[in-house]
Amino acid sequence: MKNVLKWYFVSLGICALILGFLSVVSGIGGEGFIFGFLEMPSDIFRGVIGGFILLFSGIFYIDGTRKMEDIHQLAKVVMGSILIWILAGCEIFSMICSSIPGETGWLNSPQGFLVSYMPPYAPSVVLLPFSIIVLYVIKERG
Amino acid sequence: MKKLNMEQRWRLIDSIIREVVRYVEYKHTLKDALSELTVKPLTGIPIAIAVLYGFWSVFTSFAGLITDGFMVKLFDNYWLPWLQDNFPGQLGDWLYSLMVDIGHIENGKLVPSDSCFESFGVLTSGLFIPIGVVLPAIFIFYLLMTVLEDTGYLPRLAILVDTVLHRIGLHGYAIVPTILGFGCNVPAVAATRILETKKQRFIMMTLLAIFIPCGAQISIMQNVIPDYTGFVILYLLSGYFLFGFILNKIVPGRSPEILIDVPELRSPTMRNISKKMWIRIRGFLVSAIPLVMLGSFVIGVLYLAGIIDFLSKILEPLFVFWFGVPKETTAPLIAAFMRKDLAIAQLQGLRAQGVISNTYQMVSAVVLTSIYFPCMATFVMMLREGGKALIGALLALLAAAFLFGGLLHLIWIVMGVM
Repeated sequence: MKNVLKWYFVSLGICALILGFLSVVSGIGGEGFIFGFLEMPSDIFRGVIGGFILLFSGIFYIDGTRKMEDIHQLAKVVMGSILIWILAGCEIFSMICSSIPGETGWLNSPQGFLVSYMPPYAPSVVLLPFSIIVLYVIKERG
Repeated sequence: MKKLNMEQRWRLIDSIIREVVRYVEYKHTLKDALSELTVKPLTGIPIAIAVLYGFWSVFTSFAGLITDGFMVKLFDNYWLPWLQDNFPGQLGDWLYSLMVDIGHIENGKLVPSDSCFESFGVLTSGLFIPIGVVLPAIFIFYLLMTVLEDTGYLPRLAILVDTVLHRIGLHGYAIVPTILGFGCNVPAVAATRILETKKQRFIMMTLLAIFIPCGAQISIMQNVIPDYTGFVILYLLSGYFLFGFILNKIVPGRSPEILIDVPELRSPTMRNISKKMWIRIRGFLVSAIPLVMLGSFVIGVLYLAGIIDFLSKILEPLFVFWFGVPKETTAPLIAAFMRKDLAIAQLQGLRAQGVISNTYQMVSAVVLTSIYFPCMATFVMMLREGGKALIGALLALLAAAFLFGGLLHLIWIVMGVM
């Protein structure tokens, strides 16, 4: 099980590294792109700074999986997930904030409200469900 | 009572220690390990960037939701038209112009304003700016700030920035007044007491007054120049470090080291958060709303009496040739002494009327509003905290405004946009 978890977090780290790198590149270029349900941001803030944070989350994951039984190494894996939670939390909060008010009226229509939550999503939101596995690791460790 | 000799004292100490101290192997918990990661530079800096990213992102999303989603609609679609229809008098009258809408010239005719940003009335701009724009921003800023304080993250940030802040004659705890300054410069100036020497407090107060835009300013910048707010803040922060470096070299005095006791990371409690929030928001409501309304009134009077036009003519060479902004920027700069947010809202009005002709002029004018002088509340606080040092701080401030305002104009000229 330890090995499975180790390779799981290595894979997650590699995904975070790749998505972080693409995010930085699209942010610097100023031209975001959509790939399936994934949207690369085009602005400096979400693209470059957000991508940089995602890159570091990947580094934390990969570095932390060496001797993961050591608490200090596990803390790096947990921190990798916390960085993704911060990014994804901001994205979801932003979606919620933009879904409530309407274009002209006070509140959005039910249809407009639901459309706000449709894909494509930012890379951190896509990685969010996979990063939650770290809670299982913490629970197992007691 | 028998007096003990040295050896007997040590034996007594040993016996007390044997009784009360227990030596066991301490096992680090996950919380300890996470806490260590936040203070080591290699891991702590990316974490600090993520925390500040989250801070800024939540701040802009929430302030945007309340201001653009609800307050602009309430004030522009209901409050302004209702006052325009029901307030005694009409466009061009003294009282109507002061209280509701000063109007603007379009094709040689005085026409009513469409938004509370442009109307400059005590009951329109004077209420819309503090309640519609600034209050939501201040609310979320203080909420996030309180959470950071109560989780114990701020001292960790102080450790991370300690080395950098020593370069400008300060130390890690200077991050507390700096971050507070992004909310409001008044408590930030009070928080400079955290610094030990007169030199440190002088440098910190000067830098706060010039280069740290308050939450009210930032929120209104987000509204009027959303694409350039990040640039303006970066420009001001680079000025913070550059000017701090110079001040550290020329101001005599000591800049001692600090020893920080880092508290453990913990969950904030709702009771503490709500108490702190109430104290801070109440302070804002009591000081900001009357000052913005007074500011709108004073500017209206100066405008109608022709004093603004007179000052604009005198200051035209400095404004146009040195700073690269139109002479009409005089009125917002006078308003900036009352409230910076009111001043930036007035700049937006000038832009809507076409007086400020492009975005770069607008950015220059916003930067100038930020750096040229502290607002009245900060000025009074500086006077109380700094005493005689205030004169030195004001001289430094005028020099910085002249240099950094001119430098930005030069940057635009080099870029070929002006």
